[in-house]
Amino acid sequence: MNCEELKDMFELYALGVLDDGEKSEIDAHLARDCKECKRSLAHAMAFNAVLLSIGPEEAPSKRLRHRLLASIGYERPGWFWAGALAAALMLVLAVWLGTQERERSNQLADARKELLQVTGERDRLNQAAQFLSDPETRPASFGKGQSAPRRGYVFLHPQLGVMLIASNLPAAGAGKAYEMWVIPKVGAPRPAGLFQSDGMRGLHLLTGPLDLDALKAVAVTLEPATGSAIPTTVPIIVAAAGS
Amino acid sequence: MFKLRLIQLIPAVLFYALFQVVLRREDDPDLVRRLKAREPKAMADLYQRCGRLAYSVILRIVRNVGVAEDLTQETFLRVWNRVGSFDSERGALTPWVLTVARNRAIDHVRSQDGKLEANAVDLDRLERPGLFMDLDTSALTIDRARRLKSALEKLTANQRTVIELAYYEGMSHTEMAERLQQPLGTVKTWTRSALQVLRSELSEAAVA
Ligand SMILES: [Zn+2]
Repeated sequence: MNCEELKDMFELYALGVLDDGEKSEIDAHLARDCKECKRSLAHAMAFNAVLLSIGPEEAPSKRLRHRLLASIGYERPGWFWAGALAAALMLVLAVWLGTQERERSNQLADARKELLQVTGERDRLNQAAQFLSDPETRPASFGKGQSAPRRGYVFLHPQLGVMLIASNLPAAGAGKAYEMWVIPKVGAPRPAGLFQSDGMRGLHLLTGPLDLDALKAVAVTLEPATGSAIPTTVPIIVAAAGS
Repeated sequence: MFKLRLIQLIPAVLFYALFQVVLRREDDPDLVRRLKAREPKAMADLYQRCGRLAYSVILRIVRNVGVAEDLTQETFLRVWNRVGSFDSERGALTPWVLTVARNRAIDHVRSQDGKLEANAVDLDRLERPGLFMDLDTSALTIDRARRLKSALEKLTANQRTVIELAYYEGMSHTEMAERLQQPLGTVKTWTRSALQVLRSELSEAAVA
């Protein structure tokens, strides 16, 4: 087909909905750098964007903005401050109670524990931010050839290690946890930490240097909450390390 | 009297605001440069500019608030991670974000339906940063976009349906024919004529 005959199809091409025959016609023109078809495609892309943008508008929750910016290390999510404030207040209260009454001192321990946990979350966010912003970080692909890919990301870094963000894993369930595995090209999978899927806990890090050349894949399986020495279930996520 | 006039002005003001957001490119080079420099504040600005639009497109496709928020986050992280090869001088950022948003949502719905691979690869290919260079967004004025919106309302029910299926469900002609129980040729005619109406509405406005 010539450029003129293809003209009507670029919007659908840009949407990825053309049937194969027509698609490959356009691909052929674009592959030989056909100026007219490139123009048509640019025009169709602008057209599609405007068409998409004139639909009804809905506002996302404020939480989404916090969550997004937290994921790149810009802002801590709102609940962090709420949590930190609550923990700080509890600590003050506990200190006061502790000096008032000796037997209340266990509250102090509880508050300390909570404060540590909140601090831990913050540190993990900072680590994640550092991970994402480092030029040496590279993503590992996953989902290919799997019947039910999960959404998420796996990032690898020769010094920082592995970062996994799994955004839609179901809850592991009572007495269970997700376990990450580092699978070398040669040898058995190595356990790389347990994590849960709810809230920020879908973010999992294995820190420390990683030999990327010897790495075959990163995988996740569902295991007993105490963890396993070798994977005992079929992996839910397998991210191949080869770029 | 004064109140009534103000009310009449609201649609025009809304359109103006919307197209400032969609089409304005003056700030793109700077914003892209800041995104490339991994300035987190740039991400906040990008979200401010088109977070709501991206979310609206996604929500319309997935029809679930929680999923739409997850996918919006995924959209912006994808842009953040791929902006390195985006052309700061010639690229149009908002069309890119909207395309990624739409494709992520379509991909999600389709993968839940068990339709995978080929389509996912194709969508990925169609959101490469290089494709969003030199878009003729300046030619699309507020007036022309308003016409596009009213032209959409003028389409026949069948024409509107096929546009909806292509843009918001990611269906090919073959899939539409199956879904609508119509001959392939009929579905193609509907789509083609619908796009022609919308396109000519835009170009007429350009001439006027
Ligand atoms: Zn051509």
